[in-house]
Amino acid sequence: MAKSEPVLFSISWNACIQCGVCVAICPQEKSFISHFDTIAIDRPCDIACMICENICPVSAIHHTKVSSFIPSLQPEQA
Amino acid sequence: MKADYDVVIVGSGPGGATTAKFASEAGLRVLLLDKKQELGAPVQCSGAVSRHALLENEVIISGEFIQEPIYGFAIYHSNGEKIKMDYRLLKPYEYGPEENKVPLGYVVDRRRFDRYLMTQAERQGTEVLLKAEAVDMYVENGKAVLKVRHYNDEMEIRCSVVVAADGLQSQVGKWAGLQTHIKFTELASCLQFVTDGVEADGLLEIITGHEWAPGGYAWVFPKGHGYTEIGLGVICSMTQRNAQQHLDYFLKKSFMKERFKNAKILEVQGGGVPLSHPLRTQYADNLILVGDAARQVNPITGGGIHTALTAGRIAGQFLAGHLQTSNDHSAQSMSQYQDLWMEANGKKMWELYEIKSKIFRMENIEERDLALYKTMSEYFSPNSPFKKI
Repeated sequence: MAKSEPVLFSISWNACIQCGVCVAICPQEKSFISHFDTIAIDRPCDIACMICENICPVSAIHHTKVSSFIPSLQPEQA
Repeated sequence: MKADYDVVIVGSGPGGATTAKFASEAGLRVLLLDKKQELGAPVQCSGAVSRHALLENEVIISGEFIQEPIYGFAIYHSNGEKIKMDYRLLKPYEYGPEENKVPLGYVVDRRRFDRYLMTQAERQGTEVLLKAEAVDMYVENGKAVLKVRHYNDEMEIRCSVVVAADGLQSQVGKWAGLQTHIKFTELASCLQFVTDGVEADGLLEIITGHEWAPGGYAWVFPKGHGYTEIGLGVICSMTQRNAQQHLDYFLKKSFMKERFKNAKILEVQGGGVPLSHPLRTQYADNLILVGDAARQVNPITGGGIHTALTAGRIAGQFLAGHLQTSNDHSAQSMSQYQDLWMEANGKKMWELYEIKSKIFRMENIEERDLALYKTMSEYFSPNSPFKKI
């Protein structure tokens, strides 16, 4: 199975109900948590299993592939 | 604040505060930490608890935290068929609103309930620190050292034993290297609305069925002052929709939709409920885990208040006995807590987990729906083969 690309999560703070389910389900061995009891948004997630996104009761979690922030990894424009 | 404690408890929910109360009552020096500014908030729980659970764990019942007395249950099949178990009718000599009778249970306001339990611990001598977040823990020379951020200050607190009562999102167990991860197939994603305009009659109503809440169930609970909470929990591996979409569908399309047509939403609350087995190891050197942090949640009902109160009492009493007679706080000595808990509650929870797992292994949805409906109905019946936990 291909390894998932690292992602950076963002939270829709207006939708988030601070239920903590994303933190509870996160399989990271070390704490991967923000100051607002959500999954961390200040560092990439290397596992990128996306179960935090899937389990959020209000779909408040979104992700962006880390590679999309790095110009050299972008496909060349015609 | 002292430099050294017998016990430091991380998290002042029902499990942590009860541990603190029993440990302080026995004369231990106890510090109770919580990172919140208001305990129990944001609310992540329906708040249903039996009267038996409170009495068994020496919680004095008070109007300070009760929102509504409960007198029984109504369990619904997916198609709307129901079994009603109103203990006002089943055992009229015992249960009822009259002065010489009692309710079967209560829906509590978690904000007031958690504060009440913390207050009871404080009155027994527990020191409490709010806005105090545990950020790391290590063991040094037989003592636990907890790093804590209190407002803007960082501090290190030493103690003999740390109690991790830091809930579903528990980090303390992780720091000690315990296997705390919950499977995606066993964590229910829950959402509920506190509503006005929906009638209820002193019963906890549980609506089973894959169509409404795959992997879990929906509920309608009276919430006091004429309010009602309507919610559900789903297992996300069994659905493509989130809990919010399922709740919307339940409100608008279920056999209860007429009853819900005037519902006005007053509060939005959500949380996770581990429908898993309890942690296989709930202890480490100088550490024990209590309540949701140890996954001590009833896997059939998803109820966690009773189980947390009981585990807190067992933990507090264990620590009182242990710390007054021993200086060995190694994992091996802490394992006695888990032995006591297994005997009182754990074995039954493992049995319930097996029953729940068998139901959700059924691939045929109709058979699964019927099995869950029957199991829920049996669980809450007066002739229940299950010991209430």
